[in-house]
Amino acid sequence: MEVAMKRKYFKTLFIIFTLFLFIVSGYANAAARSPDKIQIGHPACLSGKYAKAGEQAVGGIKACINWVNNVYGGVKIKGGKVPLVYKFYDSESKKESVTSLIARLITVDKVNVIFSPYSSGLTLRGAPITESRRMLYMDHGGANNKIFQQGFRYIVQTIGPASRYHEGTLDMIRMIDPKAKRVALAYEDSEFGKMVMDGAEKHSKKLGFDIVFQRTYPKGVTDLTPLLSALKSSKPDIVLGGGHFEDGQLFNRQMADLDINVNALSLIAAATLPAFYEALTNMAEGVMGPSHWEYGVKYSTEEAKKAGIDWIGPSQEEFVDYFKKAVGKDIVPDYHAAEAGAQVLAYVKAVENANSLNSDKVRKALGKLKFMSFYGNWEIDETGLQIGHSMVDAQWQNSKRVIVWPIEAQTGEAYYPMPTFSDKSKGKVAVPE
Amino acid sequence: MKKKLIKFYPLIPVFTVYILLFFIGKNVPGMWQLVAMLLFYCALGQAFNIFLGMTGYVDFGYVAFMGVGTYGMALAITRLASIEELGIGIIVAGFALALLMSTLLSLAVGAVALRLRGAYFAIATIGVNEGLRFLIEGARIWNGSEGLIFVSDINNILGRDTADALMTFWADVMVLVIAALAAVVTLYYMRSKIGYALTALREDEDAAKVMGINVTKYKIIAFITSSCFAGLIGAASWALKTPYVFPPEVFEIQYTIEAIIIVLLGGAGTLLGPVAGGLIYGISKYYLAVYVPGFQLLIFAPIIIVIITLFPEGILGMLKNRFQNTGLAHFII
Repeated sequence: MEVAMKRKYFKTLFIIFTLFLFIVSGYANAAARSPDKIQIGHPACLSGKYAKAGEQAVGGIKACINWVNNVYGGVKIKGGKVPLVYKFYDSESKKESVTSLIARLITVDKVNVIFSPYSSGLTLRGAPITESRRMLYMDHGGANNKIFQQGFRYIVQTIGPASRYHEGTLDMIRMIDPKAKRVALAYEDSEFGKMVMDGAEKHSKKLGFDIVFQRTYPKGVTDLTPLLSALKSSKPDIVLGGGHFEDGQLFNRQMADLDINVNALSLIAAATLPAFYEALTNMAEGVMGPSHWEYGVKYSTEEAKKAGIDWIGPSQEEFVDYFKKAVGKDIVPDYHAAEAGAQVLAYVKAVENANSLNSDKVRKALGKLKFMSFYGNWEIDETGLQIGHSMVDAQWQNSKRVIVWPIEAQTGEAYYPMPTFSDKSKGKVAVPE
Repeated sequence: MKKKLIKFYPLIPVFTVYILLFFIGKNVPGMWQLVAMLLFYCALGQAFNIFLGMTGYVDFGYVAFMGVGTYGMALAITRLASIEELGIGIIVAGFALALLMSTLLSLAVGAVALRLRGAYFAIATIGVNEGLRFLIEGARIWNGSEGLIFVSDINNILGRDTADALMTFWADVMVLVIAALAAVVTLYYMRSKIGYALTALREDEDAAKVMGINVTKYKIIAFITSSCFAGLIGAASWALKTPYVFPPEVFEIQYTIEAIIIVLLGGAGTLLGPVAGGLIYGISKYYLAVYVPGFQLLIFAPIIIVIITLFPEGILGMLKNRFQNTGLAHFII
């Protein structure tokens, strides 16, 4: 009996030991790597709360890597052309997984650069690991400006910072209507919403607008009537606000109910979605929304030449084709895909300029880099914050989404001032003459 | 003497696992962050087990205590950053505040919610979690929905190199210490009057009452102990390892669900169970994420269902049955 028990005991120990050996050998095997490749590591968000954005980002990265390897011919470094290899794992949109997977990508897979997961929180979670390993960390999903005020040395941003979401809208209105003066700001009470509001407030003041109303509303709000009634009494010319799709369409619907007519209404996150127009139909006519990128933008080699900056990467149509092949679905990429793809191009360009894979040298080259791609302009400041990329502003015109700003990306003129809600209820559409 | 020592035998496998994990993490390149994740899940399981395992009550708002613990550390760092003399003492102050805040919250919640049972208790605790989050966001307490980011504060206080070491190594060591402490406290409770009272109330609360056991008192003891450990885990693993706090992230109910899975997988009310559950849960998640990215949950869910079906009392329940009346029974409880 005792011998049998001992056997069982040793069997259990053996299983535990084998399990640990499995873990360790998994590391040893994966440690083999080819020196003739440049590896991009990515703790992607393929499941969990950011799965939708994560799938788009992975598709965008694959699309641009395919373009670099098959059309561009590889990354030019030290006299040769080196292909890009994409190594990604699924972080499940969870911070515990992000750190462990980044450590694996750096030490086991020996990647040359880490692309951040989606969201500011997860980006921040990975930063101490990349900083301590002196590894370049490229951020295509964390818009919070404060990431770049923490003294990190290896983070570089491609996504536009939250504070700049409504800058383009304000610039456009200032150009179209120099007399417009009164701005109302009403955003969702969230880390992201408040950062956008702070940026809009600063830029409004810089352009000489008066802030006549400024308030936030809670997440999951079901009635904005009290807030909008107060907003109405402040008689704004321009209303900027929003947070998510649900509150964005509620915002527009209740503005119509209360007959609050303004020259321009721009809502973040909601107004650029097709579902926004489907939900509001004619009431959405003339409503605008900022986006990092929209299918249809007119960035091209010609626009780059006009602006006097370099162009790199596929055309928009090429990018869309590569994206569809990468995800294996007939879907149009959204801005999550475009910004992640543009990040590949920025890295390629910087490696070529630095003629090295060393993170310090590539980071330095990224600091001097300025280019245009299908995603728009790319340039960072000394902290790594994206300052070159402008948000595009889309407006609903006769049920179509028209890109009205910036000029180099626009597919049509802005309709200004927006039709009144009573005119819209009679069928008026926002089509410029 | 041997009889006295035999009481502590169950700690041997728990500490062996932790020491083994520490050495693997330290000596195998690239392993430390995986070990850190496993330690987090083990600590979470052990802390949660003190209440769920010993009382049978399911606290769906458990993550709220981790959340306030995170805020405790974050507030200490951001508010005391200007006092240069504090140095590393700021971390001690942070843990003290985390402990105080989680204790106060558990007292407040326990005094009310522990009068309820079953589903009513579970629903009340969900309310605590969500209510606290909305209170912080809506009333703009502690910077409201914008949260707190304090990497630069830690860099200024400790210097960049020490701060890097804190965020990537020492914070995880602290989680290891918290997990070990939770194991010691669990064993102490199991071997004392508290443990017997809790076992009695878990099996039949009314019968325990009739027998003269002050069930409310013992439930509150288990609840506060478990919550304090949650606060410490939040302070170490979230505030120090990840120097930011956003309310939606620190009050995310998914962590409570994970704690429940870990405890049930390993064996509720056992000492070694949450460690086994944490290891199985963490290792499976990690390797599935590596080898089948995007599909791991599809594979993981059936694995959990199979394990729970085969071993309804958890892995430790099965091992306890198998090794009862043998020498190993002293180690497996």
